[in-house]
Amino acid sequence: MTPLIRKALRSRSVRFWLTAGGIGVTALLVMVLGSAYHSVSSSVAAYVGQPGIDVWVAPLGVDNLMRSSAFLPAHVPESLATIRGVAAADPIVRSYVTVRDEANPSPGGRRLALIAIGYAAPSGGGGPPVIARGREPRDSNDITLDRAAAARLHVTLSDTVWVNGHAGVIVGLTDGTNLLSTQFLFANLSTVSEASALRGRASFALVRPAPGVQRTVLLDSIRTRFPRLSVYSREQFTANNVREVAAGFIPLLTLVALLGLLAAAVLVVLLVHAVVEERREDIAVLLALGADAGALTRTVIAEALALALVGGLLGIIAASALGAVLDRALPVIPLLFHTADAARVLLVFVAAAIGAAVAPVARLRKIDPLEAFRA
Amino acid sequence: MTGRALELQRVSQTRGAGRRAVTALHDASLAVVAGEFVLLEGPSGAGKTTLLAVAAGLLRPAAGEVTLAGRSLATMSVVECRRHRAAHVGFVFQRSNLLPGLTVRENVLLMAAIAGVPHAEGECETTRLLEALGIAALAQRYPRELSGGEEQRAAVARALVHRPSIVLADEPTGNLDGSSGRAVAEGLAALAAERGAAVLVATHDARLEPFATRRVLIVDGRITPQ
Repeated sequence: MTPLIRKALRSRSVRFWLTAGGIGVTALLVMVLGSAYHSVSSSVAAYVGQPGIDVWVAPLGVDNLMRSSAFLPAHVPESLATIRGVAAADPIVRSYVTVRDEANPSPGGRRLALIAIGYAAPSGGGGPPVIARGREPRDSNDITLDRAAAARLHVTLSDTVWVNGHAGVIVGLTDGTNLLSTQFLFANLSTVSEASALRGRASFALVRPAPGVQRTVLLDSIRTRFPRLSVYSREQFTANNVREVAAGFIPLLTLVALLGLLAAAVLVVLLVHAVVEERREDIAVLLALGADAGALTRTVIAEALALALVGGLLGIIAASALGAVLDRALPVIPLLFHTADAARVLLVFVAAAIGAAVAPVARLRKIDPLEAFRA
Repeated sequence: MTGRALELQRVSQTRGAGRRAVTALHDASLAVVAGEFVLLEGPSGAGKTTLLAVAAGLLRPAAGEVTLAGRSLATMSVVECRRHRAAHVGFVFQRSNLLPGLTVRENVLLMAAIAGVPHAEGECETTRLLEALGIAALAQRYPRELSGGEEQRAAVARALVHRPSIVLADEPTGNLDGSSGRAVAEGLAALAAERGAAVLVATHDARLEPFATRRVLIVDGRITPQ
């Protein structure tokens, strides 16, 4: 009986697909926000969490890469290298630079503010985590740029850009270095120091332990030797940076996600209400004929669930497609989708659908079968 | 079946509440036996539809007792009453009230399913009824694709597919022209008789009189044998 009742009470297909589409758009919104957050977190983690750098040494009070403005005393990297158990201590300088696509700025020229990382290229730690095309910087004029930044500047490999007015040739394009609001640029330590007027300074020192040295022992040694510096394991420093990114994203993400869910729930309520109202006479006839009210209730709830699932899946598929298209056509907006997010979206939408079906179901139970005689 | 399909004993029923309460049925008694075709006649507002609703267990009477297919409805729970109605009552409404989302065949099969008729049996009975009513060719059509007479014949098939004890019909020919109304009445009378089902028809339509085995007049909720 249930399949026939389901067919009898099914909403019109145009209305169903329009509503599922509306729910899909809200799912898309939630997924895109979630994936943008994951992408930025992942980019931060990809750089600061790259293998080989086990210990980050920072000026006292600095706990992340994103918002530091202090510098290490000049002797620190060299002194770190003398500590027993340290294989290498590479300085990096981090600064914000203005990158232009032309030597003499004109009103039509393109410019970007990027995070520049100067490191002991090419063998020192702190270089780009993933080279998508080209190579790492070697000479003082070499620059390796995030793929999205290159797209925004309309430049590619072998093109020249001006970093704070200093010419540099793009020798590589990187992935996993896009923070959405800005991107990374990598160059030789001296190049970035020169461009930023930070000669002889270092923002961080990246320590690699010698083979067989326990990291906790090394951390303790460095802290003992430099009590006025901040010393972090790779995992701690990565977590600090992800937290810094999340602090800006999570409140907005949560708000928009909640609004999206609310909109989806309202859509489900509207459609299920419309089904009950449109089918009021039919439901009265079914009740008069002796149909089980429970079966009718289950049918209405199943309709709401189908809407939420179909809409949610449409949104997830659209989000994946959008991510693929953006990655090819407009890498400026990085989208990294997590299966767990998709599962969460579906779960919450299904819960919203069940909640939304409560009022229509209560209304359905009040329909008088005698209406069949008046129809 | 030769027993009483329906028996109302001194049934009273009111509509509304307080000062607006109207007595719809007053001490009404009526028995319909299997195979009978009873016309329930009376002016509008006389209580015909209320009597059908009480007979089907859709309304609980304020007083008196209703026995449907040998069982008193007074002692049944709501669920039992629904199941009993599904198994023993067939309905034909003034408008066909076929479900617009289902084909003719599905509308008929749905009633068989509601009544708990095994699927294969329901399929066979549906085919037989649609053929007997001359609408087998319309089985896969939707109600919106049918004429009023065709819709009502499909409603007759739906009312009989589960071999009910009684068919309760409310002005089944009220919206039909002469030939369509006659075809519906003929089909209902012949097929119900073939299945031993009683038929109780609330109507104003004199075209149904030739098919009646008995006529009952109801005025102001009181039944008067004719």
